[in-house]
Amino acid sequence: MKVTVCIGSSCHLKGSRQVVEEFQYLIAENDLKDKVELGGTFCMGNCQKGVCVTVDDKLYSVSPDTAKSFFEENVISKLK
Amino acid sequence: MNNLCADIGYRSIFHDGEELCGDHVDVIEQEDGSTVVVLADGLGSGVKASILSTLTSKIISTMIAAGLSLEDCVHTIAETLPVCSVRKVAYSTFTIMRIVESNEAELIQYDNPMVILLRGGEEYDYPKTEINIDGKRIYQSRIRLREDDVFILMSDGCPHAGIGTEYNFGWEREDIAEFMKTFYTVGYTAKTLSTILIDECSRLYGGKPGDDATACVVRIRKREPMNLLFGPPSNRDDCNKMMSLFFSKEGKHIICGGTTSTIAAQYLGKPLRPKLEFVDKDVPPIAELEGADLVTEGVITINKVLTYAKDYLKDNESYSQWGVKRDGASLICRMLFEEATDINFFVGRAVNPAHQNPDLPINFNIKMQIVTELSECLKKMGKRIKVSYF
Repeated sequence: MKVTVCIGSSCHLKGSRQVVEEFQYLIAENDLKDKVELGGTFCMGNCQKGVCVTVDDKLYSVSPDTAKSFFEENVISKLK
Repeated sequence: MNNLCADIGYRSIFHDGEELCGDHVDVIEQEDGSTVVVLADGLGSGVKASILSTLTSKIISTMIAAGLSLEDCVHTIAETLPVCSVRKVAYSTFTIMRIVESNEAELIQYDNPMVILLRGGEEYDYPKTEINIDGKRIYQSRIRLREDDVFILMSDGCPHAGIGTEYNFGWEREDIAEFMKTFYTVGYTAKTLSTILIDECSRLYGGKPGDDATACVVRIRKREPMNLLFGPPSNRDDCNKMMSLFFSKEGKHIICGGTTSTIAAQYLGKPLRPKLEFVDKDVPPIAELEGADLVTEGVITINKVLTYAKDYLKDNESYSQWGVKRDGASLICRMLFEEATDINFFVGRAVNPAHQNPDLPINFNIKMQIVTELSECLKKMGKRIKVSYF
């Protein structure tokens, strides 16, 4: 599964760093390193929806507050 | 003309309790391509010393720039300077360095500590001729310049540092030369070298300088071109033109901006790989792109660079940050402030619709403003700047 987080200017200001760190933490905690490929990308052209995250090319809008629940819902649960 | 140039930087600390510096440095670039550096140290400290040294350096630099002889300059100074009511003398010591076409330096020294020249990592004892003008003993030297020569001009506040506390006779000139030799190979800029020297003086004075202390460093180095791409062109059809102009330039290539680097990656036909390391919480991560030396995010990173640039011109206190850190802004700072001498900016005027959101602290006008301010700062650092808009 490929998870990509936008680290462009706009998403950065909306908290992409916290989102990335939360994901990195959750991947390590759930031992998903072999199953999830976490990557960054510059602007995806959807700044209004920032922080932009794609899971296998499907676009989602995530914020630092929703990062944990988002990851559990859209990544962890799908892997099981 | 050769491909050498002079990197000039200086810093001062004031006599404890004073608000003005009694030392004054002037750097004048002349039309014929030569540069004149004057370091003057006025008698005493505070307002009086400040007036004396400012007058002295202004008179000398203006007269030398106008092509007048050294004798005329010294006569003029002796007759113009106001006489100190306490000491009944008008007095300011000075060091003049004139760099002609980056291949010869003329040194004229009057009563300041002798200029230190580091060549090939060692102190180099250059020949001096003593001349007498109006009873003043003045030393004159002509030195053929070599790449990596480092000249250190000082006021006597430097060798006097630590008298009676750290050292019996202060920090002697030979010891200063030894101290500065250790930084010779690192490749620090002249400004940073002068900061290191002055910080050490301040430490020796225990943070309470007993005299104004000034160090001016002149570093002879090769010209180093650098190119920075920032923002996509306002007309999408100009992308290829902008990219080919940018990548055909000699020197290193820095690309700033997400969309901009995507365009560059398309032009080069190479994948763009953003990293996910947040080295600095304020600066977005960098990316890798074959064919470019550095790829960063745009406006936030450049804004941080501008903050560092302003500090560099003032107290240079944030050096300990941008000098070592690995975030995009620090990397750009090291490339622009330390490596580059000639910088070409390729600025795209496209308006990023995402940045026009009123919730965001960035917009098009701010972006253009940052470019203007940054190029002004870099000019003050002595760099040659060319900005092209697309």
